Amino acid sequence: MSLYADEIIRFSSVLKMSYNLIAGREELKRMKTREKKHLISVALPFSDLVYGFPNLVPVFPIRMHVFKISKYLSLMGSSASLFGWDNISKFLGYVKNMGIKEINKIIDQIIDDVIQTLNEKYNEMFDIGVERGISSDFCFALKTLVGMYVTKSKNVSANINYSIRCSAWNKYLESLKAINSNVKQIWLDIPPRNIGNALELLTDNLSDVINQLENLSGNSYNQSTMREHFRISNQIREDYKAILYEIGTSDFYPCNPATFSEILALLSVSFQDYNSNAKRYAENIHQMVNEMKERIRKGIGMDVSKMPIIMITPMFGGWEPQTHEIIYELGGRAIYADWDVLRALDDIPISNNSDPIKAYAKFLFNITENGVGCDNNVLTSSYIRVAEKLNADGIIFNQLFGCHSISNCYSMLKEKTRKNLDIPAIALTFNRIGENIEQVKTRLGAFMEMLN
Amino acid sequence: MIEPDFSSEFFEFLKGKKENGVKVVAFIAHDNIPEEMLDASGFFPLRMMFAGNDELMDASHDYLPPSTCAFTQSCIGLFSTKYPQYRFLELIDYFIVSNHCVSDICGSEIISKYFNVLRMNFYLPYTKNKNSLKYFKLELMDFKNQLEKIKNEKIKDDNLIESIRKYNNLKKKLLELNELRILGSKKVRIMQKALLYGPSFYNELSQFIENNKDNQEINTSKKNVILTGCSVFINDNLIDIIEEGGGNIVFFDTWIGSHYYSQVFEEKFLNSIQNPYEILIERFKRNILSDHSVPNFLENKISQIIELNNNFKKKTNGKSLGVINHIIKFCDHFSMLSTYFKENLQKYGIQVLNLERDYSRANKGQLSTRIEAFLEMMA
Repeated sequence: MSLYADEIIRFSSVLKMSYNLIAGREELKRMKTREKKHLISVALPFSDLVYGFPNLVPVFPIRMHVFKISKYLSLMGSSASLFGWDNISKFLGYVKNMGIKEINKIIDQIIDDVIQTLNEKYNEMFDIGVERGISSDFCFALKTLVGMYVTKSKNVSANINYSIRCSAWNKYLESLKAINSNVKQIWLDIPPRNIGNALELLTDNLSDVINQLENLSGNSYNQSTMREHFRISNQIREDYKAILYEIGTSDFYPCNPATFSEILALLSVSFQDYNSNAKRYAENIHQMVNEMKERIRKGIGMDVSKMPIIMITPMFGGWEPQTHEIIYELGGRAIYADWDVLRALDDIPISNNSDPIKAYAKFLFNITENGVGCDNNVLTSSYIRVAEKLNADGIIFNQLFGCHSISNCYSMLKEKTRKNLDIPAIALTFNRIGENIEQVKTRLGAFMEMLN
Repeated sequence: MIEPDFSSEFFEFLKGKKENGVKVVAFIAHDNIPEEMLDASGFFPLRMMFAGNDELMDASHDYLPPSTCAFTQSCIGLFSTKYPQYRFLELIDYFIVSNHCVSDICGSEIISKYFNVLRMNFYLPYTKNKNSLKYFKLELMDFKNQLEKIKNEKIKDDNLIESIRKYNNLKKKLLELNELRILGSKKVRIMQKALLYGPSFYNELSQFIENNKDNQEINTSKKNVILTGCSVFINDNLIDIIEEGGGNIVFFDTWIGSHYYSQVFEEKFLNSIQNPYEILIERFKRNILSDHSVPNFLENKISQIIELNNNFKKKTNGKSLGVINHIIKFCDHFSMLSTYFKENLQKYGIQVLNLERDYSRANKGQLSTRIEAFLEMMA
């Protein structure tokens, strides 16, 4: 039985978010064809500017795909639109409690399918990316992104390209017009360092992006709309951090730790486009926090006080999804907090009177200077900072094959971990989902023995 | 490994510099570092431009994973192994951390951090527009401050202009070298030496050109190719392999090659600009063929190669050039675009070999086979 399934049906917010993640295609199709909105391809947590224009829809391209969704999940989605997700969730929980074997099996299967179908799709994108010519030497994330772009760029009007320190990422962005020259490429050059008046230059570059989005949208840029979105996205960040740090570090979890890790993994993927509807996403994640707190208050869940906290990072570029389940079986709990490592969970410093574009420039510079960093010294310090905030008992460093940017600094990180945290750390290598599970199990077994 | 004579000659050269109070500043050899500023403030700019081998690559794995650019691995390996032939590296005082690519950042940072070399910073914007030029200027000013702080004296504009002229003259001479019809291996070795020694190599370079003007070889049996992509560094035998396979490099479209000497300024332009930093900014702006830049590098590169091929065809009654796109294993810039690069040039009837390799000895046979097959295929 899936650990995830057994617990998650009781969280309507999680059900909703999962559904929106893999069943978003129809909604996106409707927005594009009926509502005449423009889909804008985004990746990494850089979708915010697009939300400044109501007829532009940011989308992480994999969501445009058809996923193998069980007919039950489809049914559930349709029923939810009539009765609401809360009621569906309650009903499923009730059925589950009744212990009716066949129905239980179906429910387990539904949720299992969500994870499995997502992973299968990622691997499919990986293969398509390689077939299209991206060298197998690049990381999982770029291969899958090429796959997504090859298959789905025909649906998008533009792609948002933020230059960051990863040269493979920047060149991947350059390669997109060779894949599909009809898609508008909107570039934002983020200066590598905040020196002199670089903030002004970045603000000006952002204004240029806004102009291009205005042209695409046909609507004028409106500060209030942008400000309102930033408030929503800050609320999302607050709730995300509450899940990570309030719930994640507590002694009692509202579900079993593997389920909790699954939720964090789901948040990591969905944070990139807020499921194309930031307001709905904000409501969802807020509800998720409330549901979790409510369950803890009622004593529903699991005492995890004796289970060591393992921070697994970086995983947003691809990781073995079974890792947290293996860790759970070995007596630990895994936390995924990449977006905070990269400082993408810091607030956009907006106020009633401030210029939203300037605020966003500051937000981006904070990511560049203190999160991703201009070098590995800054980046590794950021890993340490988050491990400290999580009270992590151990760090598992996911060394993504072909990543030359953020997952290549294990030696430096290990040294800092020893010096500053005095907790064990190991590195796992990752290339493709499902490729290396036995080795992962063996390595994790040895690692967890050190902690137990 | 580099030749002992070469090594000791360069060691003595650097030692001489140091004895005269000149500090040595090393950097990964990319094409956007303002070496003239170093020269003008009394530093010697030392390009890391030495090819690797298995031992050097292996020696870097304590710091970065093996899936790191083989050149960066080797640069770290040079500091880690401390081979006697490279003892001149011990004379380095500073290392510039720059972001030509992310391996440049990581490799330079590691060399500085773990091998006790003081760090300087010089970062680049990725695009080429008015704001990125303004940002480039900020970096130049920041770099100026770093240099002045170390020397405790201001860089005089006149000194900088003089340095710009010195390097400009060297580049002009290299342009002349490029025009010589001699074997590519001979040409590249002189280019490498010129880039390593800088303007003090000017006379030797002039002499070489003079000596070879009347000795130009026209070997009609050789297949003429452009080498693009990653540079061929000192002590790399790739060019020899190409020549043994029946090819000849007529144009080096790499850092050690046209990326460097094509940055030459006309006298009129130099005379018209009062502020020397504006010259450096202009050079950055013109450097559209640098693999660092986005988003038009690929387009620019393809246009350039088509033009080179057309010119060559005019000179040779319609013969086409082949293109060897040299990709050092795990190089982000050239590897990511290689498929599209090849597809595009093939549309124009230009044959391209995407030649990916690292510095391991075991690769030599495979490299020879691929190169020979490619040259045979060329019409």
